[in-house]
Amino acid sequence: MSMFDYDARPVTPVPVLVGTTASRGAYAIRDFLSRNGYPFEWVDAGQPEAVRAVLGVAEVEPSALPLCILPVGSRLAAATVERVAAGLGMVAAPARSEYDLAIVGAGPAGLAAAVNAASEGLRTVVVEAVAPGGQAGTTSMIENLLGFPNGISGSELATRAVVQARRFGAELLLARPLAGVSADGPGYVAELSDGTLLRGRAVLFASGVEWRRLEVPGIDDLLGAGVYYGAGPSEALACTASRVVVVGGGNSAGQAVVRFSRYARQVTLLVRGSDLGASMSQYLIDHLSAIPNVDVRVRTQVVGLEADDRLRGIIVRSGDGSAPVQMPADALFICIGGIPRTDSAAGIGLATNTAGYLVTGGDDAGDPGGSWPLPREPLPLETNLPGVFAAGDVRYGSVKRCAAAIGEGSMAVALVHRRLAEVGGD
Amino acid sequence: MTEPPAVAGPDTAVSSEFAVLASGEQIATAAAALERNGIRPLLAATGADARGLVRSLLADGAEVYNNTSQTLEAIGVADDIERSGRYQPLRLRLYRMDREMQRREMRTLAASPDYVVGSVHALTEDGSLLIASASGSQLGPLVSGAEHVILVMGAQKIVRDVATGMRRIYEYCYPLEDARARRAYGVPSGVNNILIVNKVVTPGRITAIIVNERLGF
Repeated sequence: MSMFDYDARPVTPVPVLVGTTASRGAYAIRDFLSRNGYPFEWVDAGQPEAVRAVLGVAEVEPSALPLCILPVGSRLAAATVERVAAGLGMVAAPARSEYDLAIVGAGPAGLAAAVNAASEGLRTVVVEAVAPGGQAGTTSMIENLLGFPNGISGSELATRAVVQARRFGAELLLARPLAGVSADGPGYVAELSDGTLLRGRAVLFASGVEWRRLEVPGIDDLLGAGVYYGAGPSEALACTASRVVVVGGGNSAGQAVVRFSRYARQVTLLVRGSDLGASMSQYLIDHLSAIPNVDVRVRTQVVGLEADDRLRGIIVRSGDGSAPVQMPADALFICIGGIPRTDSAAGIGLATNTAGYLVTGGDDAGDPGGSWPLPREPLPLETNLPGVFAAGDVRYGSVKRCAAAIGEGSMAVALVHRRLAEVGGD
Repeated sequence: MTEPPAVAGPDTAVSSEFAVLASGEQIATAAAALERNGIRPLLAATGADARGLVRSLLADGAEVYNNTSQTLEAIGVADDIERSGRYQPLRLRLYRMDREMQRREMRTLAASPDYVVGSVHALTEDGSLLIASASGSQLGPLVSGAEHVILVMGAQKIVRDVATGMRRIYEYCYPLEDARARRAYGVPSGVNNILIVNKVVTPGRITAIIVNERLGF
């Protein structure tokens, strides 16, 4: 046995990703692998010696980037998330053709539902477009979750939940987004982006929210090149000694600031509103105020970007009417949200409120009863389609907290049982 | 500790008295002694057989930590643990954790796996296991943290007694390990901690698989 276990790095080969730091495609793969907890080696294509060490040549044809060397040795040129996921064996076929419950999204709500459903004997499948954990999965430390007095990171919470769900027999299908849902008798058929079909006697949308886009000229050109939506763990180390700006007033933004403050020279949190307490937990506000390299600016927003091949600075305007000012920035993380992920549900006619959140039984924001086909009222968490439920951030009226999402996901399972009993076979 | 110079190359391993396979009689003697000491001995003719034994001992879905070990890498056990999907490989889980934010989680996770799988630096004919460590991080789970311990060792690691085992560590293993650490991590190794397991109070907690091949160093 070796005497030195230096840093718990895997002893078997890991995939190597060669790309440019300014590449959006390379960032997408880095983010995907990081969020899935898949160890990989990153090689900057602009470093000839590093490239030679892994490829034997100092340069790579730009059209071949990003290039992924799989652990088995084969190479994927112009790699995409989908091809890397398939090459690493992360894309599995469903084990069954029909499930009692098909869950869309593997964030806290979806995973809580999976654990509870599978533990109660329901045939359960979870479909996740990117990685388990949802927005909470990128959270560095959740300190107010019951039962974790010292806090738990979002990724570790997701890892444990996945293990727990699988132990009870739930299936997780990763790396393929849901393309659409259609009615099929009393149940539904979900189609994934690769054409895979899953029949669910009941469906739970726990698809969460996406980060809201920041409306600043030129921002799309800098995605992955200093501008990021969310605060994925893949970039934390790269921010060592950098000047980092985080935009947002919620807990996700606050937790991102805490994480980056451990690495970056300076972290600035920009909040459009005037009261951080309106959207962020007090423990996080207290935490931020005690970190010396963190600067919180309220009533401030980004109005411009400065860049060459990557972000170099931002222009901010404060709400006091003063002139916009330039601020040097190496990385800008946008954690404002969100936009409910309901694209895949659009075709089936799920009722939403004006902001796009799914309306469920008892909500006053929409009128699910108008198209409701059954003599009974919709159950709590049930949408305007019998047997289609919603839980977590995607649901109108939900509390945007991890514990609340877990509660809704767990609660949904009891309601799914009632629906299954109604259609028979439960 | 002052950084010692790198001293060893592969030739050292081949020429050393400590690279010679033990006889069948020595293997049988050591195995019987292990059993008396509460350590379950299993014999494997080949590395492939040992790999099969490890597979049969590990429970599906268990949290498994594989120590860095050329033995485990050579016979495919490291690959089984990290990449088969049958277990929860803790190395991968730890490696992806944020060392700044998740230090506490990392410490607790690494300290108490369901299984730790590793090797030893020497096995004495009277059934003692000797394991040296630079950081000491590997030793806690071996002593008591892990629920189960599986140690795979080539039969060249069998020595007469503890004194010879210590000599094996300092004169043979350390130079080779130091060279490996410098290559792999760019830092020297060190015989900073030595664990000697003479007897276990929970019989069967540790399984020692002796392979009749020269594996690792």
